[in-house]
Amino acid sequence: MVVDVIAIVTTTIILGSIYGLVAIGMSLIYGILRVLDMSQGSMVMVGSFVAWAALVLAQVNPLIALAAAFGVTFILGVLTQLVSVQPLVGRASIDFEMVTFITTFAVAMVLVNVALEIFGPRQRNVPPLLAGQVSIYQGVSLPYQSIAMVCVSLGLMLVFAAFLSKSRYGLAIRAVAQDANAARLMGVPIKRLFPLTMGLASALAGVAGVFLGATYFAYPQAGDLPLLEALIVVIFGGLGSLPGTVYAAYLVGLIQSIIEVTVGLTWTLPILYAVIVAILIIRPQGLMGKRSEARL
Amino acid sequence: MRSITRTIPVDGTGWILIAILLGLLVVFPMAYTDPYILSLMTTGFILLVLNSSWNFLLGVGGVWNFGQLAIYAIGGYGAGLLMIHTPLPPLLDIILGGVFAAAVAIALAFPTLRLYGIYTSLLTFSFAEIVQFAILNDNSGFTGGPFGLPNVSGLFPTTLSDLWTTRAYYWTALTAAALTVIGLAVIVHSRLGLALQVIRDAPTYAAARGISPLKYRVIAFGIGGFVAGIAGGLYVSNNGTIQPTVMGLTPMSIDVTMLVVGGLGTAFGPVVGTALLIVIDSVLSTYPGVEFTILGVVLLVIVVFVPGGLVGEITRQRRRLATWLAEGDADG
Repeated sequence: MVVDVIAIVTTTIILGSIYGLVAIGMSLIYGILRVLDMSQGSMVMVGSFVAWAALVLAQVNPLIALAAAFGVTFILGVLTQLVSVQPLVGRASIDFEMVTFITTFAVAMVLVNVALEIFGPRQRNVPPLLAGQVSIYQGVSLPYQSIAMVCVSLGLMLVFAAFLSKSRYGLAIRAVAQDANAARLMGVPIKRLFPLTMGLASALAGVAGVFLGATYFAYPQAGDLPLLEALIVVIFGGLGSLPGTVYAAYLVGLIQSIIEVTVGLTWTLPILYAVIVAILIIRPQGLMGKRSEARL
Repeated sequence: MRSITRTIPVDGTGWILIAILLGLLVVFPMAYTDPYILSLMTTGFILLVLNSSWNFLLGVGGVWNFGQLAIYAIGGYGAGLLMIHTPLPPLLDIILGGVFAAAVAIALAFPTLRLYGIYTSLLTFSFAEIVQFAILNDNSGFTGGPFGLPNVSGLFPTTLSDLWTTRAYYWTALTAAALTVIGLAVIVHSRLGLALQVIRDAPTYAAARGISPLKYRVIAFGIGGFVAGIAGGLYVSNNGTIQPTVMGLTPMSIDVTMLVVGGLGTAFGPVVGTALLIVIDSVLSTYPGVEFTILGVVLLVIVVFVPGGLVGEITRQRRRLATWLAEGDADG
């Protein structure tokens, strides 16, 4: 029993941190751009492959691998925004949210299949950033890798929160999220801010990919499951609400680890989904989403 | 895609052209017997049934349903399981599969009813992923897990020669596709279709006029689900098997591309898109990575530069031409 509780707690913290890292980016992009970025999953995949290339092919320091994944996915995120979202901003007579859902999906398609062409469908082992593990309680052990994952995720989320609340750019981003037109009138350079936001969000997903790649594998479809999980988290938390997303990430992690320990791995996602649907029927806007986004 | 005009108004000449095209398609397998091409076209017709049903919900109904492929698979699995486990006539199995799919779709409609736009797509998309995940991880042998449903007996007796079996499936799928496209076009122009379009374009106005979003959304999901389920049943009987790979991101990317290239919300967009993509698909299918990279780029370019799709663009140009001619008349 105690073992179960400890297992649940540790799994919750690990899952929640990694979900939070991917989902925060999606939520932020939606809050600012009104784009549900379907390319975030492929950014996770790209992050895994960058880590594999850095650690296995180039054999560099894990910190450099992290930085490389951050940099590559940041640039890809900026490019994705410039190609798939920027041309559609402000265009009349389209359903912006639906159209960008499709264009970012198209970007994901391209990224996944370019990866398939370059690396092939084979799963690659990404070595853990830190080897070894620490035993915490009868049979429950915690790899250093997971501890590093939690620390980096939490650290990045905190840095990100500080960036949003303290820096000039963060202020601008939050202003745009509140009212894009007013922000533009106040002289916020929206055209520059949008790509930056999407780059940052993608970089968070890329860093998550380094850890997920080391936990599982790097392969072209490696982003599908993280994308699905992040989608569940952002619906649950309420799109555009960052605190909501973080709470939801840990709550989803908690629900998932309880199901894993009590029912088993196979039914985790279906049960999780049923729980989320039940919650959405009661609160269509998610935990902390704004009411106006859930009209009708 | 709100302001894009949704249908080509079909006039007398239009109907004649459609009739000629259909006639040519009907006699085609008598004149041309290459089994590869015939089964490719059969696959195309089945996909057209699916795409039309999706277009009906997505384009006409404005419901962001990205779970249609799961409904399609559910119809297919339903029909396939009935064919394996019951002695019912296979055609009835397909229809029952459609009814089952419609029931699931209606059940899916209820949680999405209170949701707005993007939340609907999230919920339906995750629904589809979960269905695929559940089938992939099914070890009980009921659905066959990742290997799919094996040895489904087809629609036609095995005594039929290969060529005639291919032809029979071709005609069955063609019939289903023609009925679907025309049937859905008729629905779109009926009061029901009008109500759906009003709910999509002006929800507040619709509510003020007493059009119940609940009722019409459930009806739309039911119709869309039934048609998609029929497509699934056709798929399972034609292929003799159905695997979880009929759902998921890869087939969804093909179908979305077909819809968007053809023109989302237009009556004949799915026809054009499906035909075009089937050709591209068969040419490039030996290079899967390249194929989907190209499809992704095509999808991006079409959405950004030709938002109405090919059919939408043709309609727009025809209208411009008509206006221009009318102006010329007025001047003259």
